[in-house]
Amino acid sequence: MFTCSKKYDVIVIGGGHAGCEAALAAAKLGAQTLLLTQNLDTIAQMSCNPSIGGIAKGQIVREIDALGGAMGRVTDHAALHYHMLNTGKGPAVHSPRVQCDKKVYQFTFKHFLELQPNLDIMQDEAVKITTSDGAVSGVLTLRNTLYHTKTVILTTGTFLGGTIHIGTVMTPGGRYNDMPSNLLSKNLSEELGLHLMRFKTGTPMRINARGLDYSKFRLQPSDNPLQPISHFTDVHEQQKRKFLSCYITHTTLATDKILRENFQRSAMYGGNIHSQGPRYCPSVEDKIKKFPEVTSHPLFLEPEGAHTEEYYIQGFSTSMPEDVQRALIASVPGMENASITRMGYAVEYDCSDPMDLLPQLESKIVPGLFCAGQINGTTGYEEAGGQGLVAGINAALKVQGKEPFVLRRDEAYIGVLIDDLVTKGVNEPYRMFTSRAEYRILLRNDNADLRLMPHAFRLGMLDIAYKPAFEKYRALCDTLKANLQAPVTDEPDLFPWSLEKARAHAEIHHKYEGYYERNKKDAEKLAEVDAIKIPAGFDPSSVRGLLFESAQKLREVKPQTLGQASRIPGVTPSDIQLLAVHIERFRRLKHVANSK
Amino acid sequence: MQSTICALASGQGGAVALVRLSGPDALVITHTLTAKTQLFEPRRQTFCPLYDGKNVLDKALVTYFKAPHSFTGEDVVEFAVHGSPYIIGRLLERLCQAGAVLAKRGEFSQRAFLNGKMDLVEAQGLCDVIAAGNKAAHRLAMSALDGKLSARLDEIKTKLTELLAQIEVRLDDVDEEMTPLSTEFITQEISVVLAHIKSLTDTFSVGRLIKDGVKVAIVGAPNSGKSSLLNALVGFDRAIVTDVCGTTRDTVEETLEINGQKIILTDTAGIRSHALDVAEQEGMRRSKRAMEESDVILFVLDLSRAVTPEEKQLWQDIQDTHKRTLIVLNKSDKPSAGTPNLADLSSYTQFTVSCKKGDGLDALKNALTAPLNEVEKDGLMISNLRHYEELLRAQTELESAQLQLAKNVGGEIYAEHLRGALTHLKDLLGEVTPDDILGVIFSKFCMGK
Repeated sequence: MFTCSKKYDVIVIGGGHAGCEAALAAAKLGAQTLLLTQNLDTIAQMSCNPSIGGIAKGQIVREIDALGGAMGRVTDHAALHYHMLNTGKGPAVHSPRVQCDKKVYQFTFKHFLELQPNLDIMQDEAVKITTSDGAVSGVLTLRNTLYHTKTVILTTGTFLGGTIHIGTVMTPGGRYNDMPSNLLSKNLSEELGLHLMRFKTGTPMRINARGLDYSKFRLQPSDNPLQPISHFTDVHEQQKRKFLSCYITHTTLATDKILRENFQRSAMYGGNIHSQGPRYCPSVEDKIKKFPEVTSHPLFLEPEGAHTEEYYIQGFSTSMPEDVQRALIASVPGMENASITRMGYAVEYDCSDPMDLLPQLESKIVPGLFCAGQINGTTGYEEAGGQGLVAGINAALKVQGKEPFVLRRDEAYIGVLIDDLVTKGVNEPYRMFTSRAEYRILLRNDNADLRLMPHAFRLGMLDIAYKPAFEKYRALCDTLKANLQAPVTDEPDLFPWSLEKARAHAEIHHKYEGYYERNKKDAEKLAEVDAIKIPAGFDPSSVRGLLFESAQKLREVKPQTLGQASRIPGVTPSDIQLLAVHIERFRRLKHVANSK
Repeated sequence: MQSTICALASGQGGAVALVRLSGPDALVITHTLTAKTQLFEPRRQTFCPLYDGKNVLDKALVTYFKAPHSFTGEDVVEFAVHGSPYIIGRLLERLCQAGAVLAKRGEFSQRAFLNGKMDLVEAQGLCDVIAAGNKAAHRLAMSALDGKLSARLDEIKTKLTELLAQIEVRLDDVDEEMTPLSTEFITQEISVVLAHIKSLTDTFSVGRLIKDGVKVAIVGAPNSGKSSLLNALVGFDRAIVTDVCGTTRDTVEETLEINGQKIILTDTAGIRSHALDVAEQEGMRRSKRAMEESDVILFVLDLSRAVTPEEKQLWQDIQDTHKRTLIVLNKSDKPSAGTPNLADLSSYTQFTVSCKKGDGLDALKNALTAPLNEVEKDGLMISNLRHYEELLRAQTELESAQLQLAKNVGGEIYAEHLRGALTHLKDLLGEVTPDDILGVIFSKFCMGK
């Protein structure tokens, strides 16, 4: 065994969308950080669709960007096609989505990591997390190298015990042709005592564009003018770039027939997969089974890159055997003569119960162990990136002995996401929707910077050089929000902000007048109970007079604040009233004891 | 932002009741019941009328305690009012309409403790109170919402959840492939939910009647037989009956049970415009008040004599109250002076009785409880003020949603009101997490990625 002499503050296991943000964030905050990944050439790989953003997800990318994460900037760098979704509806539900060149995306991200001070990157597979007194002490790799560390961030994606399904053919794998991490999975469940669950997800086939009949497709051109997804991208420079198009087609009755005749041959319905897949991202066989009355489903062709003819077919996720997949493609208008380059497949993987986590994404079972991304039962690059960022920040803060960083539900979709995970748990892969946010009017695409940059400056996640321009922009917004007609002038040193942005923001704010305040008022009430911390040593489930079910739930979730306790399903307002009194009593008794 | 809470602080049933209001808006809310200019000096009792719209609800002793020098440590206003369930109930209702919320059990003490107004020993007792309240409220909620009512509320909730899901799924529709919902459709769906909720809130007055009893005011000219009617209904000589006009100077109250329902009869002084006697004038003032407080008015006319100008005036006053009124044509045992000559009298239900002989009383008794029996058939009604308030708030949200819809705003805006309405139903019935909405979405709509 070789023991690395350098002692790390943070080791990130996994180089996907969560791992990359986590490593960058921890290193940015000054923590000596190591990123371990099986393969450096698949860092930040877009394993499924070649796009970043989408409904509610686009807002998350904006939040990651405002908090100093990299996803937004890398996306703009790799952009092939911009589309602002939902523009037919109100601005609170406008969400940016950007098609990306997959290769450019991953190499840009890799470069970001390489340039980041305090961050080492190493190609090796973690097989064991070592502990001392129950807390994280190090990581052992497949090469039998031991790294000492104070904290570990697990971002294992679909690799823990990963199994790939194509029809009845099952192969071990975290992604097609990539080996799963089976030893680590065993270590987590058998030695560290994490509660592992098994989830499923899938991806469609890719096809070669040669042989496509574009006349049968509906064209979906890139937005013009476009809106960059990162706050820091120069919109005028971005506008000069060349963009590609996406195309829309649909399944037919022939598609329907092929699927019906072959249900039993799919991995999902053939009996090989028992784990829970996402309801909202169903495979095409799922759609036919659950919605037999719908005979045509839309399919979207999205380019995989600027230097490839491969297309991703959104809406065609499947675990059917190869012959069926070939027949399916031939049944779609415009694709009759297209050839498949990669088969669609389903993947099953281990994830860990997120109810075992504190809101800072640290394990309650193993101190110093943080989890982010799919291991917490979520799906999506954006959901992963948001958690990775928060885990990275908190691992660094823990090492520095500082208070954890927790976003509230009224501050960010990332706050909603993590609060849902740690308070309510998951029973299927979790994807963000705007309907999950109580304060939807507050959590918008256009105000992510105003909501979150103050946190980023305070934490040290954003270059302080941006602060004067940000403060100017904020003041400008305040002036215009008070009076849209206020006399204001554009200033050159506002960049990357502008008077135009401030006007757009103020107009949206006016549109939601009354509703913004209504959400804010509700949020203030929430902030009040969320500010009441459940003190260390106080066991809320032991309080006399609680309803039996509530006590049980409190024991399971171990809420950190009174607010979190109030959001546990089944806990009543009287329970919370009782807890409030007991917490104050506990605090005063302790005060009396200390002063003696 | 603490809420402002209110509740009956004294026991019920005494001559005087104490209603307490605590929180940052205590004084503002109080001023919605009093003259705007009414001054309240801290820790001084002020005698002033409390208004229920244009009418005086009661004259009360009002005391204002400025934070932090109060029981809870917050701004507190205490109302000492007459101990009638009607006055107390109506006062709380008005306070809630003005923005207060009903206090949970132990909540005043809880605030006192959290604001440092109570020591640890006292706090132990407080915990016991809340704990008992927790269990009791849980039981009460279970029993009060048991059966048909909770089933109906659940129906309403499901309907609203499904409508909201249809709206939310379109807000979250990634590919914008879903056909939009028409404004007419959403308005119509909201109207259906609104109608359901209204049919429940409409039962509130009836529900409360059953719980607190039906207040019946017996009015009529002197010596028309009001006291005899009361005695005949009660079954023994309760009021003093003589042949001298104006014997009943005070109002006489009697509680009795008819067909299993609680009825509170009030015999009032005969209305006589030239009454000079001071005591009698006071009695007449009370009669008018009894009429205003009543749920049903029994107008007693003496069949054996012609209608007097005073009775004509009284009839006008009765009609102005817009209360449910039954006409009692008394003294059928004596020779009749003909049909009473009063406008519109024929459009009211009339009962010809003889209090002396007891004729026609059964029909009158049945009529008194008839509206209550109607409700009983369905069994659905709201008798709890808290339930009523929540439903009323849900109703307001739905009405706002329709208002916004008419203005052609985005779905995310009227969805805010539907979410609000659902939250109030949730408070009545238990959790509706956003996941409920997603559950409906995924089971009903094929959503791609």
